[in-house]
Amino acid sequence: MTIIFVAGGIMLVLAIVTAIVLGWANVKFHVQVDPRVEAVMAALPGANCGGCGYVGCAEYAEAVVAGAITPDKCTVGGESCAKALAEIMGVSLQQSWPFRPVIHCGATYEDRLGRTEYKGEQSCTTANLVAGVQGCTYGCLGFGDCVRACDFDAIHVVAGLATVDYEKCVGCGACARICPRNIITMVPFKSRQMVVVTCSNKDMGKDVKAVCKVGCIGCKACERNSGGFFRIDKNLPVLDYDKYDPNNLDAIRVAVDKCPMKRLLFIGWPTEKDLEATKDLEAPDLVEADFKTTVDKTEWQG
Amino acid sequence: MDYLFEMLVLALTWALINNFVLHYFVGICPFIGVSRRVDMAFGMGCAVTFVITIAALLSWLITYYVLRAGAPLTTLLSGGKTLDLSILNYTVYIFVIAGSVQFLEMYIRKFFRPLYKAFGVFLPLITTNCAILFACLEIMKHVCAINDPLGGLVPSLVLAAFGGIGFMIAIVIMAGIREELDHCDVPKSLRGAGITLITAGILALAFMGFTGVDRGLQQLLQDKEQVAESAAAPAGQNN
Repeated sequence: MTIIFVAGGIMLVLAIVTAIVLGWANVKFHVQVDPRVEAVMAALPGANCGGCGYVGCAEYAEAVVAGAITPDKCTVGGESCAKALAEIMGVSLQQSWPFRPVIHCGATYEDRLGRTEYKGEQSCTTANLVAGVQGCTYGCLGFGDCVRACDFDAIHVVAGLATVDYEKCVGCGACARICPRNIITMVPFKSRQMVVVTCSNKDMGKDVKAVCKVGCIGCKACERNSGGFFRIDKNLPVLDYDKYDPNNLDAIRVAVDKCPMKRLLFIGWPTEKDLEATKDLEAPDLVEADFKTTVDKTEWQG
Repeated sequence: MDYLFEMLVLALTWALINNFVLHYFVGICPFIGVSRRVDMAFGMGCAVTFVITIAALLSWLITYYVLRAGAPLTTLLSGGKTLDLSILNYTVYIFVIAGSVQFLEMYIRKFFRPLYKAFGVFLPLITTNCAILFACLEIMKHVCAINDPLGGLVPSLVLAAFGGIGFMIAIVIMAGIREELDHCDVPKSLRGAGITLITAGILALAFMGFTGVDRGLQQLLQDKEQVAESAAAPAGQNN
């Protein structure tokens, strides 16, 4: 009988001691934090998933309060969470655009030079580790890591070039994350079609010519003709999609026309004009990867 | 010196041979969950080592003075009777671990801001880490045994700290393997936790190779002592 009372008593004492110590510590070690951080923390789902790009919800909350990032980056919390955060921060949410992937490469197998037979594992991640698979070390490899990453059958390798099917794409960003050469980025589609720089080669024009028939040569024609909308950075045009206005594209259209390599393209859902123009055409057969491989084409290629 | 060697063998035993993860299969959840990248795995390993040592200190104090049969505090409370309160072990240890992690988090947050940032989400996650509870129970086993030389405070702390380091070794090795594994074409059904567990099993097999190293080391040290003694004896006679 004694043992029950002693055991109970000890648990009680332990509980009281711990409670007192923790309570004391809570007061003694109190860190003054912005009350908004706590409010934001309370509004976040607390999944610590890292989807926003920060390590945990706490870091994201701090970044939001510090103004380093917009309050709509929590994918788990979604719209309601973004609204709550915006309310706490006293800001209004910007109109958000659907983000869709674009491929910053425009070269099919025919356009790429310096390609050699590659017999290794048929994935971009491994092929990217090997030198000499193809001349261009920036562009699409065409082994389809993005195709396998897509759960929506919305991206395919057509003639060696990853191509997005915008009818099926939901903008999850899986392809952009998997691409070992980082040539897929998520772009806010402010209209049905967006201007995209479809090349990633940062080399000088001469070197680009040596490895690709269609690559951007960094001639700066777009910079001159678009009134500064395009900016050449490391031999590639860069454009700021925040400033992109779909209703005021005149300057951009001039630059698109002037591009000698035709690397500035409107990419996105087909317009009605396009559909009308291609109505009578037969869809070409999908071109399969032309690499001779010793491994069969089953799912398990290991 | 003898004592120091014993501690060295104990440390080696718990870091490599009786590895928490690869020998006892405790702490599997962080081992699978946080072993995707080496730097994160290292952070987790550090945090576990840190918390496990603190928890071992507290649980040793409680076990020694309260829980074990004939503990001074319990005897005092029950009016001179010898009671065995080790039945309370799980409750008390979980309680102590959770409390100390909470306390540590507050303390670190106040005084070691960069460390708190580095530990990030790991510290609260460790509260429910079974490796720590396992270390506490293992220490209790030695403390409650009669005349166990490993029941002292120092051996317990060595056990816990090097158990934590063993966990760190295991999780960092695993993270290194998994970083390489990203380049491999794993069958779809095995991706993620599946291949990781298989890899962990093979890793555990490899760690089995350490079995017996502790006994061999002890033997070696004993032999050395005997040689030293026999060498010292004639020298003493000559003088």
